[in-house]
Amino acid sequence: MKKIITTIFITSGILFFNSCKKQLDYKPTGVLSSADLASPTPDQVEGLVTAAYAGIGNGDMIGPIYSNWAYGSVRSDDAYKGGGGTGDVGEIDAMEHYNLVTPSMDAFVSRTWKNLFKSIGRANVALRAVNSLTDASFPNKKIRIAELKFLRAHSYFTMKLLYKNIPIFDETASSDDILKVSNVLDNDASWNKIAADFQFAIDNLPATQPELGRANKYAAQAYLAKLRLYQAYKQDATHHVTSIDAARLQEVVTLTQAVIASGKYSLSADIADNFLPETENGPESIFAIQFTINDGTTAGRLNYEDGLNYPHGAPQYGCCGFHAASQNMVNAFTTDANGLPNFTTFNNSIANLSAATVDVRLDHTVGIDGHPYKYDNTKPFSNSWIRDAGTYGNFHTMRNQQLATSSSYFKNGPFMGVAKNYDILRYDDLLLMQAEAYIELGQPANALPLINQVRTRAAASTGKLKKADGTFASNYNVKPYTSVGWTQSYARTALQWERRLEFATEGPRFFDLVRWGIAEPTLNAYIAIEKVRRPFLSTAKFTAGRDEYLPIPQSEITFTNGLYKQNPGY
Amino acid sequence: MRKLTCLLSMLIVVLFSHAQQKQLSGTVTNKTTGSPLQGVTVQTKNKTVTTDANGKFSIEAVAGETVTFTHVGMKKVTITAGKLNTAVTIEMEDGTSDLEQVVVVGYQSQKKVDLTGAIAVVDLNPVKNNTSGNTMQALQGRVAGLYIEKDGSPNGSNGRILIRGANTLGNNDPLYVIDGIPTTRPEVFQNMDPSNIASIQVLKDASAESIYGARASNGVIIITTKNGGNTNGKINFQLNSSISSQSEKSMRFKMLNAVDRGKALWQASVNDGQDPTAGYGDIYKFDWNNNYANPVLNSVTVQPYVGGDHNTPAGNTDWQSVMYKTGLVSNNSFTVAAGNKNSSLEMNFGYLRNTGMLRYTGYKRLSGSINAITRSFNDKVIFGLNLRVANSDETLTARDLGGAATTNLAVTLAPTIPVYQADGITYAGELGAGYSDRNNPLHMQDLSKWNNANRLSSFGNVYVEIQPVKNLFFKSNIGADNANYLNKVYTLTFSEGALNRTTNSLFYDQNHYLSATFSNTVRYNWDLNKSNHFKFLAGTEYIKTDLNYQTTKKEGFALQTKDYMTLSAATGNTTVTGGSTGNRLFSLFGRVDYNFSDKYLAAATIRRDGSSRFGADNRYGIFPAASLGWRIDQENFMKKYTFISELKARVGVGRVGNQQIGDLSRFGLYDTRYGTTLAQLQGGFWEQYMNIGTAYSLAGGNTGVLPSGFVQTQAENAALKWETTDETNIGLDFSFLNKRIFGSLDYFSRNTTGILITPPVASALGEGQNKTVNGASKTNKGWEFVLGYRGKPVGDFNYTIQTNFSHFRDKITELPENVRPAYPGNLVNTIIGHSQFDIFGYKTMGLFQSQAEVNAAPTQIGAGPGRIRYVDINGDDKIDDLDRTWIGTTLPKLEYGLRIDASYKKFDISLFGSGVAGRTGFDVYTLFNNLMRSRENVGPGVFNGWTATNTNTKTPALTLKDNNNETRTSDYFFVNTSYFKMRNIQLGYNVGAISIFSKLRVFAMAENLFRFKSKSYQSPDPERIDLDPVPIPKTFTFGINASF
Repeated sequence: MKKIITTIFITSGILFFNSCKKQLDYKPTGVLSSADLASPTPDQVEGLVTAAYAGIGNGDMIGPIYSNWAYGSVRSDDAYKGGGGTGDVGEIDAMEHYNLVTPSMDAFVSRTWKNLFKSIGRANVALRAVNSLTDASFPNKKIRIAELKFLRAHSYFTMKLLYKNIPIFDETASSDDILKVSNVLDNDASWNKIAADFQFAIDNLPATQPELGRANKYAAQAYLAKLRLYQAYKQDATHHVTSIDAARLQEVVTLTQAVIASGKYSLSADIADNFLPETENGPESIFAIQFTINDGTTAGRLNYEDGLNYPHGAPQYGCCGFHAASQNMVNAFTTDANGLPNFTTFNNSIANLSAATVDVRLDHTVGIDGHPYKYDNTKPFSNSWIRDAGTYGNFHTMRNQQLATSSSYFKNGPFMGVAKNYDILRYDDLLLMQAEAYIELGQPANALPLINQVRTRAAASTGKLKKADGTFASNYNVKPYTSVGWTQSYARTALQWERRLEFATEGPRFFDLVRWGIAEPTLNAYIAIEKVRRPFLSTAKFTAGRDEYLPIPQSEITFTNGLYKQNPGY
Repeated sequence: MRKLTCLLSMLIVVLFSHAQQKQLSGTVTNKTTGSPLQGVTVQTKNKTVTTDANGKFSIEAVAGETVTFTHVGMKKVTITAGKLNTAVTIEMEDGTSDLEQVVVVGYQSQKKVDLTGAIAVVDLNPVKNNTSGNTMQALQGRVAGLYIEKDGSPNGSNGRILIRGANTLGNNDPLYVIDGIPTTRPEVFQNMDPSNIASIQVLKDASAESIYGARASNGVIIITTKNGGNTNGKINFQLNSSISSQSEKSMRFKMLNAVDRGKALWQASVNDGQDPTAGYGDIYKFDWNNNYANPVLNSVTVQPYVGGDHNTPAGNTDWQSVMYKTGLVSNNSFTVAAGNKNSSLEMNFGYLRNTGMLRYTGYKRLSGSINAITRSFNDKVIFGLNLRVANSDETLTARDLGGAATTNLAVTLAPTIPVYQADGITYAGELGAGYSDRNNPLHMQDLSKWNNANRLSSFGNVYVEIQPVKNLFFKSNIGADNANYLNKVYTLTFSEGALNRTTNSLFYDQNHYLSATFSNTVRYNWDLNKSNHFKFLAGTEYIKTDLNYQTTKKEGFALQTKDYMTLSAATGNTTVTGGSTGNRLFSLFGRVDYNFSDKYLAAATIRRDGSSRFGADNRYGIFPAASLGWRIDQENFMKKYTFISELKARVGVGRVGNQQIGDLSRFGLYDTRYGTTLAQLQGGFWEQYMNIGTAYSLAGGNTGVLPSGFVQTQAENAALKWETTDETNIGLDFSFLNKRIFGSLDYFSRNTTGILITPPVASALGEGQNKTVNGASKTNKGWEFVLGYRGKPVGDFNYTIQTNFSHFRDKITELPENVRPAYPGNLVNTIIGHSQFDIFGYKTMGLFQSQAEVNAAPTQIGAGPGRIRYVDINGDDKIDDLDRTWIGTTLPKLEYGLRIDASYKKFDISLFGSGVAGRTGFDVYTLFNNLMRSRENVGPGVFNGWTATNTNTKTPALTLKDNNNETRTSDYFFVNTSYFKMRNIQLGYNVGAISIFSKLRVFAMAENLFRFKSKSYQSPDPERIDLDPVPIPKTFTFGINASF
């Protein structure tokens, strides 16, 4: 008896003392803690830089940060939302109607804001870590700082186009400081803050990076040129363009000239090369978000932002029929006998595509019954692939889509991701930026060869467009402009048209219209005619002074206890 | 401090004394029916046992000692032990207060009459026959202050469980203590067989809970299991067996048939000025006058084929009848008990099978338990073991390609889609314009039929209790709560209409949870003199919890058969994730009970808890409590009031703690996310497509291994500390008129401070800047009232009526401004003064009747005749965010239960119903019956939509566009959901001893037979507030309870 009792006590005593010693220790596993990163190693810093790059690709379908199909294409006269009726992802429908957008929309308005600040936050975290190292221990210090500032400026630039009035701060701001930074800032001053980051990048980045995915000096120059072009068109508080700043335009010319002079970039032979994964990171791509597949991750690091935009009824895709081309845009591709756009008459009637001559880029952009879709003539586009013809008509889009057979394509549940890079800056854009600056500087003659360079390439881009029988689905007629009658005003119209066709459905359209100060007249004129063809637009209305920009998310105003001021009109 | 804690375990002095003790054994029977009584508490000064299924007991006693027999609903019997080792027969009569019962009050037990805290003892008899397989569900409405929500899932899973409401903003789950081992996993309790449970108690106030300190702030449920009892070596068997049929038919939503949906779509399109043929011409042929000003519909016909596909003739499908069938539940439990005066053993085997009402779903559970106890050295040493194992498999509601639950699709999918194509085998699906991109729910459920979640749970403890000297007890208890989870998800390729899946995969989600508890207690009962009695308790407890988890997904199987699809058979992508987390708790506690002449009672407890979840500076929390009781009926001056049988006043104050946050919440953390999507962290549908990774192709390649960095996922808060709840409870226990009327009344007031919350922050702070803080305070006040009446027997007719009522109201009293956005409210109208379960939305004031009315009204985007009109709360002449206000609460103001038990000769009947009042809830059917849906089916209510000629209606003009945003949170949907449900009617017949049976009872039972609800609530069941849960069925059961 005593033996048993003694044994029990000794055993429990031992158990107890053991538990006393390490009673409450528990350390996290599989993660780094703040303490681990208090004085980071160069390897850890490189890791944070990598994560900052990853950040610019971390958008999503309902909170996009790089693909502007909803913000720039659907919101413009290029395209409709598509999908299964107007209620399917109704937030985009609200944007397409303009007047239904509210500051409390979580999808899009709030999510995009959040995702962009995540990206900015990653850059700032990495910048703080890089700054903590010495040049000796981290020879790449300057370059990495320049890259991070480039990434930060990229996200701020995107944000500025969408929301205009945004809080801007840098890596020196503590969490407490950040919560005191208002979004009320002079428009020009905010552009300059972002520009300073690009300027730092220009001054410190090498002309060539050993790793293709990183930003280099020319990317920074091109991006600064783009920023200065937007900045040149001065806006008042209600987004009205009041004047165009010649000095800024001159900067655009100088910066773009430097990139062109480097000889590092050129137009691809076929515009299709910009839309196919096989030719990504080609000579035309100045900076792109890199996406990958078969990279050891779950499904690849894919671009899902365009993942709803595949033909719905086509068995190889199956979902979801978003991003339908507008009749207005299809009409805009028609050309006259001289191979030039029908500037004034294009939208008078519905284009008869079997009779009209069209710009080659139509078949790089729009899915049309019987035409090869995405350069595949074995499976031509069919009206049976259209999801909701009654609402959105029979045109689809294709530039950011890939074939189901593409090695870059991945179907995940109902939606699709692609590993094709997303181009942020392309050489054709750069040429047209310079052309625009020349025109507004009153030197239209300098713009003519630039625009014609783009047109000539377009005209030559027919190699992938043949039907199975060897003929073309459309009658192409694209010719360069001649110097006859090439006045500033004509050149401006031509430039605006060229940008529309060259980047059709890719998203710059809406932001171009806002920059040029013609969003309200252009879009309300578009609605007036389009709503007869597509009655779902009958209640759409663009209100100048409000609809040029998204509202500041209501939630963020609340989070900052009213520090952020709502954009006008909302 | 540590020294002291460690010394405690060495405090035990090994000393023995020997006294002459013998066994008193016998049988307890019901005097009225003569049948043996199980579960009678037999108590001597030092011992407590309960009777077995045959009413048998055996207890040690000394000659001349007082032995009491107590049982719920029975009069207490007291005898003086005379001749020992001779069997005695005790007859008990109906009709006594249950105050005599013995209850567990935390590491020790106490007579209920001596309780000073708010503790509810659950009457187990009526819940014994329970078809949900979940004992917790069976308690719904039966215990004052215990609020339970449930659905009709075959695994009997629970929604919300609240004891005395919501005290905190995060996890409000109670703590379970089973045979002294704490667990926060409700399923351990839910899996227990009621016939194996000796008692369930709900500790409701802090003075009762604080001995469990850490984690007790949401209340404690204490379960004690049976262990056989003395059967004099005989083996007793007990069988409870039942079979039930479950049907959700009465809970269905009335939805439109194919042609009627076409009519509604036509009306809505025409209202919108849209050509119905443009939108729905693929589905319907509309014959109408094409005059939008004065539209007349001649006829609607369904197009013969879905999407023009000749293999798919259009259907007229009632998806609810397709998706549901009658479910069968068989529930069998078999108990073996044996024992002698020293040792006893009870084994229980249970098998539950629910075939599921939703097709291709089901649940089965095999469970077993063993409870053993052996005494030696004249009962000075007791060894005990309790072990329970449950193994369950479940296949539940599937989701379609787009993440919609099949239960939801059963209501909403268009009726024109047939179940099968023309061949009668191939599943049909949507094709062509006008449909949602949703799948055939039967197909989805069929494809998911191999999915299986297996849970293997073992829970148990071994203990030794030693009484080295008289009245000094040392107990050492080691327990483990161990759970293995393996969820297999088969994702098969398919093609259905326009939708398809092209990659198949198998997904394993598994984890292992182990929580080990080691507790040591010493208690001493000290009777100073005849009037002054003390009980002391001191102890330590150490809890170590670890969770390891991993997921594996393999893609690309050449064959799609269940046998072939194992992880190694796949040839495509592999994804593996995993990790571990855990926490440690160490506690010291003590308790003193004092009893003066059975009149004045006092108890004081103190507990000090340390948790690894808090930083070194704030690791420990101290939780004291004290309570007083006054047995007024024992006072001499009360003797003349003979109508008072019992009267006791109680008052208690105490503090309890809460640490329900993530194990690593206090740390700032950086994670590597190699291609991670948000779904891998938090699940969800869109989240599958949200990149949050840290890897990037810097080199510009399209494939291959990527460099990866890391990202902050959580901000540090080194100052994180315990959340505490202070509570005051005042109670009164009473019985009158020879205990015919009995009941209790409790009032409580709680104040929780330092509430642990993880508020959202301004996005500008960047990624991973959320952190957990002690950021809020709440108050919670309420009362509980229990009242019963035991009717005077009329001949052979006996009856008892019991009611319970409870009320609570919780309010947030303090919430930092940056935290408020996470809760309902806006900048002007904050949640301060409201519960997080309150609803914040717009008030409506009917429909606009004319354009003139619209023009005169405050600006409202999307307004028009026939549209819902919202109230301009702030009077700024426009309807916007600032016009939202408080429009109700989803927690009831009053919860109540009513139970009537009656018997006549060998028949017994029990009726039980419960309900809530003063609750506002979402009426999901309004969304489908009053508003038009462009892609989903709707109910017939839409035909009462507003038109210029049909103005006296609450249904707005039909529209497919909802420009007025009518689905916003408003009192149009949130309406009164008060209800009363007849939850259980049971009719039994006691066959008595027959053939081999010592006892045989057959019964029939009906559950959820009928209900009353508020008229303003359109959905059939106020307990089903969204379409995803399986409806709560009407159940009919037939079964037997047999002993032999």
